Amino acid sequence: MVLLLAAVATAIGVAASVGSASSGSAKKSLAGGTYRIGWDTEFGWTDSFDPTGEYLADGFGIYTNLMLRTLVAYPHTAGPAGTKIVADLATAVPKPTNGGKTYTFHLKAVKFGPPVNRLVTSKDILYSMERLANPKDGGQYVFYYDDSELGAIKGFHAYATGKAKTISGIRTPNARTIVFNLTTAEGDFLNRMAMSATAPIPVEVAKCFEGKPGAYGRDVVSTGPYMIEGADQVDDSSCSALQPMSGYDGQTNLTLVRNPNYDPKTESTGRLALPDSFVFTVDTNTDDIYNKIKAGQLEQNEVSAPSKPIREWATNPSLKKLLHYNSGDGTYYVTMNLTQAPFDDIHVRKAMNLIIDKDGLRKAWGGPISGTIATHIVPDSLEGNILKNFDPYKTPGEQGSLAKAQAEMKLSKYDPGHTGKCTASQCKGVLFIQGERFQDTQMTPIIVADAAKIGITFKVRVAKPAYPVIQTPRKNIPISERPRWFKDYADALTFFAALFTSKAIIPSGNTNYSLVGITPAIAKKVGATGDLTNVPSIDDKYAVCQAQIGDARVACWAALDKYLMLNVVPWVPYLSAYNVYTLGSTVAKWDYDQFSGTTAFARVAVKG
Amino acid sequence: MALYIARRLIWTLVVVLAVLGLTFVVFYLLPAGDPALRFAGRSPTPETLAEIRHRLGLDHPWWYQFGRYSWHFFAGDQYGWPGLGYSYSGGFSVMSQITTRAPRTLFLIMGAAIIWLTLGVTIGVISAVKRRSWIDRAAMGFALFGLSAPVFWLGLMALFIFWRELGLPFDTGYEPLSAGVWNWSRHLILPWCVLALLYAGIYARVTRNSLLETLGEDYIRTARAKGLSERSVILKHGLRASLTPIVTMFGLDIALLVGGAVITESVFNLQGLGWLAIDSALGQDLPVVLGVTMLTAVAVAVMNLIVDIAYAFLDPRVRTQ
Repeated sequence: MVLLLAAVATAIGVAASVGSASSGSAKKSLAGGTYRIGWDTEFGWTDSFDPTGEYLADGFGIYTNLMLRTLVAYPHTAGPAGTKIVADLATAVPKPTNGGKTYTFHLKAVKFGPPVNRLVTSKDILYSMERLANPKDGGQYVFYYDDSELGAIKGFHAYATGKAKTISGIRTPNARTIVFNLTTAEGDFLNRMAMSATAPIPVEVAKCFEGKPGAYGRDVVSTGPYMIEGADQVDDSSCSALQPMSGYDGQTNLTLVRNPNYDPKTESTGRLALPDSFVFTVDTNTDDIYNKIKAGQLEQNEVSAPSKPIREWATNPSLKKLLHYNSGDGTYYVTMNLTQAPFDDIHVRKAMNLIIDKDGLRKAWGGPISGTIATHIVPDSLEGNILKNFDPYKTPGEQGSLAKAQAEMKLSKYDPGHTGKCTASQCKGVLFIQGERFQDTQMTPIIVADAAKIGITFKVRVAKPAYPVIQTPRKNIPISERPRWFKDYADALTFFAALFTSKAIIPSGNTNYSLVGITPAIAKKVGATGDLTNVPSIDDKYAVCQAQIGDARVACWAALDKYLMLNVVPWVPYLSAYNVYTLGSTVAKWDYDQFSGTTAFARVAVKG
Repeated sequence: MALYIARRLIWTLVVVLAVLGLTFVVFYLLPAGDPALRFAGRSPTPETLAEIRHRLGLDHPWWYQFGRYSWHFFAGDQYGWPGLGYSYSGGFSVMSQITTRAPRTLFLIMGAAIIWLTLGVTIGVISAVKRRSWIDRAAMGFALFGLSAPVFWLGLMALFIFWRELGLPFDTGYEPLSAGVWNWSRHLILPWCVLALLYAGIYARVTRNSLLETLGEDYIRTARAKGLSERSVILKHGLRASLTPIVTMFGLDIALLVGGAVITESVFNLQGLGWLAIDSALGQDLPVVLGVTMLTAVAVAVMNLIVDIAYAFLDPRVRTQ
């Protein structure tokens, strides 16, 4: 019996070692090479690749997969598994104490890459938070940490406004420990600490760029498996000696090579770091990028492919297996201003949801290959699919229904004759802001024609660019098809906070286009005029959800989404977009990073 | 002659100042959105916007901003001379961005110019000499094609035929001369030819018409009557007098292409000055837009000056006026 057990154990041991040797040798065989990415038109950084100020997915994808490690992060894979919080710099994901208001992180022994070459300490993370707070350093997403806004780190606002010399809510009792004290329990605080702006920054380099937003972008010091090429040639002995790293020219080329100080034994987010280098090259000719992918000169394009190469890959048997669709966790929508006639009437807004040919709008983006029809505000992946079958304005083929729209319009004050058509003068010549993209020129005629069926006519104005126009409340824009919104991290708060709370209404750069929750005081402050009498608010419901954690939180957000679609109706959502990647045949391994909505560069490989 | 050149220099300076003023008005004063908003990012507070405006120097009165810019333009700034300031996006010096991009555009223009001048004038001369023959018709047909075919289409077709289908190593993108003459030139051969085709067509037609007009002059008949060879009559007497409009056009075309070869640069991913200007205009990076515009304006003014001086040598009547 003993001998039998020993034989079985030996067999298991041999099998396991063969398995791991196989996976180890498989990993080794995929290692090496240069992964080349064509970048459409321009990098488009929001802060010149300075992590404190970058707030778009492209930057996040590179930082979190390749260059920067945060206290906690995500597993760099697709789907719900890709939005699970895991430890990265921290030894473990902490459980909050003090009623959910205190988070204590202990740090692994991780080193900065060249030219700094020393262990990361808790003070480096404190410095990055202070840099985020300092308005002179161009920080973005500050509202996620500012205790005067969404409510988070104690003393953050006082530091940001110069009233305090330190952020009182962050303590560094020793080099390996950092403690965050919040003003209120925030169920998504760990998601906020996975944002790249919170990654440790070495003060000895970054101090040279104080008050110069974006300038640090050419000397970003790595903690991840890759660094900017030339980082090891940089002299950080003084600010005057500091030169930009040669691997990033600021505009056309970014080359990342292996960070010699990266220790795979400290890795816990699933980064494989297989290629020896990554080269991102801007190409102003989109067709050229896809031609080069087919010719084997590039592995992929950085952004989601436009419809032409998607169709080519989808209809070519040899390319079809190289086409990857993943949820972009974003919603495209037509926004309606609740203070401007005729959209100050909920029945008109509902009628718009019922008349607009959403399938037609999706065709402008390439048809079903571009995504699914959106029937509510937040993508299903962020609400646990609770609202997957929720479609309050369902029409045949999602192409609009005149009968349903007319029935709704009859309830409107702008249809006094109950004819099903908006006959009031407020429905004629309504200002409509069209965006500057090719797809906007395709969508606008559809919306104009559909609205005319229920008596609403538009005066279309093309704004290039459109966002500055629709983001200015005092312009009182009634309707626009331009907006779309993507998550910042895997929590529906990132939709509701910026899009529907009254606090989000600001004079410039406003993203609560519908002005949900506007009050006379806010209207006066931002210069908005119009009918403020019937504008609902969701602030109280939002506050309830914000304090929840876990499944209760997700269910709360789903309920709020439903409430908005049924009782507020600020939008006509029409597309839950996919991110579609058309890969080259030289790609040996590929994955999608659900957090950033980009390629999981940490888990790709190129054929040798 | 010295007085003529001096007068032209003064006018050149006047033109540069006028362009500086007009460009400043167009990009800084006319409503085009708030650049601070573009760089403020998501949900900016009024304090953030004020901070950005202060950092970019947009919180000063317009006359202060214009005066400071003009002073730096002529006297230089911390980045060198001329002082074009720094980019709003990233804080790079505008001058460094221009000097990085300028070689791409200048090499593109120079190579294309040599081709179009050689091709255009040659075709024009042959066409004029062989007037109404099948050679003339073929040459003018070629010129018409060059004039009519859109540059972006020519570029895409050239890439499709030569790079993609024939597999020739004429790639997109740009390699500096330091990467080797072959690597440098193989990225420029197609853009040279594409850009030259358009201008060769124009120059061929202008040369033909101008030469035909000149060949009808009395002094040409006299030259022939004196027994000079036909070659000498056409090239030495006829072509020289016909060159005046060619020289005018050449100067202006070179100058305008400095900031204007956007389509060619875009199709072939050269990312020269034209692309820099467009990209900066879309991103409201005003100092870069102003810098490239001023550079183009100075280039046009200087080329005009050179053209005017060349006239004086070509046509003695000009310098005695």
